[in-house]
Amino acid sequence: MPNGFCTKNGSLLRAIPNQTVESGLLLKRGPGPNDHLWLPMQAEIRADLSGNLSTAWRHLGEAGTWWTGAERVAIAAETRQAAHCRLCAARKQAVSASMITGDHDRAVDLPAPAIEAIHRIRTDSGRLGESWYRSVIADGLTEERYIELLSVVAIVVATDTFHLAAGLPLPVLPVVRPGRLSRRRPAGAKPGLAWMPTLAPDDRTADEPDLYRDHPGPRERIGGNVQLALSLVPNSMIHWWDMFETMYLPGPAMRDFGRDYRAISHAQIEMLAARVAALNQCLY
Amino acid sequence: MDYVFEGLMDGTTDTGVPVAAELIALADAAITGKTDQLERARTAVVKRLGSDAMIDAAAVIAGFDGITRIADATGIPLEPPRAADTVDLRARLAIDRFTLAKW
Repeated sequence: MPNGFCTKNGSLLRAIPNQTVESGLLLKRGPGPNDHLWLPMQAEIRADLSGNLSTAWRHLGEAGTWWTGAERVAIAAETRQAAHCRLCAARKQAVSASMITGDHDRAVDLPAPAIEAIHRIRTDSGRLGESWYRSVIADGLTEERYIELLSVVAIVVATDTFHLAAGLPLPVLPVVRPGRLSRRRPAGAKPGLAWMPTLAPDDRTADEPDLYRDHPGPRERIGGNVQLALSLVPNSMIHWWDMFETMYLPGPAMRDFGRDYRAISHAQIEMLAARVAALNQCLY
Repeated sequence: MDYVFEGLMDGTTDTGVPVAAELIALADAAITGKTDQLERARTAVVKRLGSDAMIDAAAVIAGFDGITRIADATGIPLEPPRAADTVDLRARLAIDRFTLAKW
């Protein structure tokens, strides 16, 4: 199985004896209502979720629009490293992160503003402000490279948190694959909505991929502003949203309150989403 | 059905959502990295809702751990109607204080 995922394959829960796994799931055995046993095992994961997690992970090792595959894997590695950074820990405790200066505990060779962006996004995203963003851009990180970096960090964070929450071992970093950077910025991207320009659905040209899922129609990605956040780099937006929608809900399912699409209800899903936003101090 | 939003902020007030305590405990342990509490939280969710629900809950928690970073790291604003509709709620829950320490 790729990345340690155990998918639905006709079996029920798969026990893995003699292997250390964090989760202890309830395995029902036999006909009796109380005839069950606790065993260390992996839970089965629905196929669309395991498939899209694996796809997003594989994309991390491929050449992006503005970063090479090797650089993208380095960003992924640094995202994990940031959790152990002493400067980030000190900043997290400070009233304002700007009060604490120093060097990050880094694991890879990336430009300094990229390291700063990775670490702050990973460890203290709720206190990021526009002046901080302008500083990393002034230090040489372009807007497009910032957005692609952000998508990589978000995919790593979401993937690792899923494995942690579900009691699965973290996946190893993806294999680096060669490829050419397209370095294509959407012609219709406009400033004004976010700190960086965004590409609104109606400004997309035929040269751009179908980032809002307009085809075959009706448009599926018609949600809030957050759907535009990564649109300056359309493939990064697609990689994130294709994964995220299987973790949460695709737009049409999100708006269909007459039916539950997951093993937890709409209300339970939205409660979890709001709780995570509160813990991460996310205003949006 | 009326829900109690304060429970989203303090993590303890009953929100009125079924199995809220167990689900929120899983979210809290995963987001804060309290691995010593994770197994108990997972087990509690499985007991109440089953293993498929635990996996789906883990996926939602993880997805929002990622997307909150995207929202915060791009400065993307609330849509104006949504912002207007939630003025009182955001004040009551002290959500606006999240903006005070930004840099």
